[in-house]
Amino acid sequence: MRTATILLLLAALLVAAVLVASGVGPYRIPPLTVLEALAHRAFGGAGGTTVDTVLFNIRLPRVVAAAFVGAALAAAGAAYQSLFRNPLVSPDILGVSTGAGLGAVVGILFGFPVVAIQLLGFVGGLITVAVVATLASMLRGSGDVLVLVLAGIVVGALAGAAISLVKVLADPYDQLPAITFWLLGSLAGVKASDVGVTAAVVLIGLAPLVLLRWRVGVLSMGDDEARALGVEVGRLRAIVIAAATLITASVVAISGVIGWVGLMVPHMARLLVGPRFDRLLPAAILLGAAFMVGVDTLARSAARIEIPLGVLTAVIGGPLFVWLLARNRRKLLP
Amino acid sequence: MTVLEAKNLSIGYGSVAVASGLSLSVSAGSVTCLLGPNGVGKTTLFKTLLGLLPPLAGQVHVDGKDLAQLDRQGIARHIAYVPQAHSADFAYTVLDLVVMGRTAYLGAFNAPRKADYDVAMAALDRLGIVSLAGRDSTRISGGQRQLAFIARALAQQARIIMMDEPTASLDLGNRILVLDTVRALAHEGLAVVLSTHEPEQAFIVADQVAALGRQSRFVAGAVREILTSQELSRLYGVALGIEQTPSGRFVVGPAPSH
Amino acid sequence: MRYPSRRAIFSAVLGLLAVAASPALARSVTDSAGRVVEIPETVSRVFAAGPPASTLVYVLAPEKMIGWVRPPRAAEKPFLLPATRELPELGRLTGRGDTLNLERLIADKPDLIIDFGTISDTYRSLADRVQAQSGIPYLLIDGRFENTPAALRLLADILGVKERGEVLARATEQTFAQVDGVLARVPQDKRPKVYLARGPEGLETGSRGSINTEIIERVGGLNVVEGLREKGGLVNVSPEQVIAWAPDVIITLDRGFETSVPSKPEWKPVPAVAGGRVFLAPGLPFGFIDSPPSVNRIAGLTWLLHKLYPAQAPGDLSDQVRSFYRLFYQVDLTAADLDRLLNGVGN
Repeated sequence: MRTATILLLLAALLVAAVLVASGVGPYRIPPLTVLEALAHRAFGGAGGTTVDTVLFNIRLPRVVAAAFVGAALAAAGAAYQSLFRNPLVSPDILGVSTGAGLGAVVGILFGFPVVAIQLLGFVGGLITVAVVATLASMLRGSGDVLVLVLAGIVVGALAGAAISLVKVLADPYDQLPAITFWLLGSLAGVKASDVGVTAAVVLIGLAPLVLLRWRVGVLSMGDDEARALGVEVGRLRAIVIAAATLITASVVAISGVIGWVGLMVPHMARLLVGPRFDRLLPAAILLGAAFMVGVDTLARSAARIEIPLGVLTAVIGGPLFVWLLARNRRKLLP
Repeated sequence: MTVLEAKNLSIGYGSVAVASGLSLSVSAGSVTCLLGPNGVGKTTLFKTLLGLLPPLAGQVHVDGKDLAQLDRQGIARHIAYVPQAHSADFAYTVLDLVVMGRTAYLGAFNAPRKADYDVAMAALDRLGIVSLAGRDSTRISGGQRQLAFIARALAQQARIIMMDEPTASLDLGNRILVLDTVRALAHEGLAVVLSTHEPEQAFIVADQVAALGRQSRFVAGAVREILTSQELSRLYGVALGIEQTPSGRFVVGPAPSH
Repeated sequence: MRYPSRRAIFSAVLGLLAVAASPALARSVTDSAGRVVEIPETVSRVFAAGPPASTLVYVLAPEKMIGWVRPPRAAEKPFLLPATRELPELGRLTGRGDTLNLERLIADKPDLIIDFGTISDTYRSLADRVQAQSGIPYLLIDGRFENTPAALRLLADILGVKERGEVLARATEQTFAQVDGVLARVPQDKRPKVYLARGPEGLETGSRGSINTEIIERVGGLNVVEGLREKGGLVNVSPEQVIAWAPDVIITLDRGFETSVPSKPEWKPVPAVAGGRVFLAPGLPFGFIDSPPSVNRIAGLTWLLHKLYPAQAPGDLSDQVRSFYRLFYQVDLTAADLDRLLNGVGN
């Protein structure tokens, strides 16, 4: 099937997921009412009923946030897999999620308001990767990429230890549960204002990845070959890391740490459109968004209480990944 | 016509020079073999000529332009790199691989267009491997993959092609295939620089030999001049002798004891 | 006549001193876990293993406390006995975020350790281990809410303050009786649906049967949060879920939430918000609802009775709170203090 057709189908899948997600939730709204309310708002009508409040203040921001979270994580994962020439790489390889987690739990420890916690998470993620990149450039050995990975492992481990320390210092009755929930990932408290900012940052970060998609793919041939083919490897690598870090940190700041999406969705997309990054990126973005919308819908409606997103992505992602590997061993593991 | 010229080159990493005072001139339509034992800087020289490493002193000129003055795309339009055939981490098709050679001509935000695919297909055709275009590059033979990389270099439409030990890990049939291809490309006007561990290949395809030995000893010149048993013994630190077979092929081996 | 040698006299004196110095492990008591523990005849230094135990010891015998698990905040100090305000921080020893070093515990020379909470094999084995390692008697008291009068009596006996224990236990039983009396007059369908909002966003709550919402349920409130297990715990929910549950009353522990909730559009459809029945639980010096889950919650019962059933609740809330504080915490509240307390200052 042609790539363009597949992308169209994925876009349709995303739209369908969003529509279904808007109609599902603990507060029962019949599908027809959902469509009416959407149409009413689209044509400039003012809200006011409970249905409007539930739909536009709670449910839709959450659905849109989930789409951006999934898109960002999948894009970052795909980009890093090309950059590090390894299909088993996740967006957290340079420690951005762990660093964001550290920032946020420090905010919870000091009892800061939610906005400050989100900001600390975002900044924590950025700082962590900056430290990793600086460390790697100071240690630059013969294998550029390997040094980055090692620095990422070290700094990520340090951030993880710091998170554990925060857990020890936190009040077990009040703060520790909040910290635990945050680290497991959830979009329960997301508001329209959060979504606006996150969406803007994600779009800004995705832009360079989309524009430079061909060259990012060429990077996967290795530094020497990529340079010889005409790519400024050092500069491109810096741009990819900056963009992937930006989008990942911004979504982790509002959703907490969510694993598996960045690792798995690019694989699923690869099965659909092949490994070429210029085709993979849009597919991963659309698929990631649809996947996360589905998972979040499950998180808020499968039980009376919220199921953490990180738990769901692992429970769904793990077996799915094994199944994918078994079915497509030849295609996925050359 | 000289397409690649190294003038008084000093090569190395950081501030450590591995060899100095190297001068080499490569003409269009010729094959130059780069010979030398392990660890003396053959790879360093190779990478410096390709522009992957900056020279510590001296210059490399391609088509009259100083490599140091060109950006990556600029360099890529003059000189192409054919690595040893390796398996990629992703299952790119052969066509995907070859069309990457067009990167040198694409704008920063562009992907290959139909014209680029046409060039790529033409390159595959020139090497007689059009049938491989849609095949998974990780599932073809080493020899076929090496040809795919050569096709990529052709798609790059550079006048100089630098090959890094292109016959290593290939079986005999594929080796002959690749060497034949090298000769054919030179015949069509390209300049090929070929790094190899096998002096016999130099006898088969090369017009010129550049040999980098221990203590930075560098000699370059016509095949017959450089490839003497004396020179080869010096180069590899082992007593070597050259013999000619009845059919005219030159064979290099341990010097016969008298 | 032969006199005892100087050496013999010296040893005898030393022996007598040793006997006089060591605490007489004279009594045998049985704790709530059925463990028979030897304790000194007189107990004067008590180590509380966690915040619930701290509160229990504080109300019965504040003079015997050697420290707090965590130091009182500035806002809490005026509501505590002056002698206890500056006691040192000793850390916790309850298997839930332990911060205590056993050597330090021994250095503090307590006569015994009191733990007040769940009686389970885990805590039993923890008690045995600490006791064996440190040589300090470790006593477990059943912390279930219904058990409060019995717990007061048991600990009072252990600490040698039986009379005080009896007084407090009777007051507790009276409060329970009051609650039951009111509930008898309120039919099931008139009982309010309640949601406990924790945290600044109010999305953390306790599900049915959790220790955090225990007393709300004791006062007949219907906890809207149905958890995954029978014994509830802390869970996260979404605002949409709260709207679907439509609680009549919201109890919150966070002042930020109480002030901001009327202006949050996603909470407007909730009946509790629309009806103005969002109540900030007082928390000085100890929480009325759940921090810690100990005898302090008796005050919460009274408070909840007045908030949930304003028509049927007997007496005046301020008076009742004032007498509770005088009796249990041994502090006299001024009108201004009472005001601040009931307005949730310091939360």
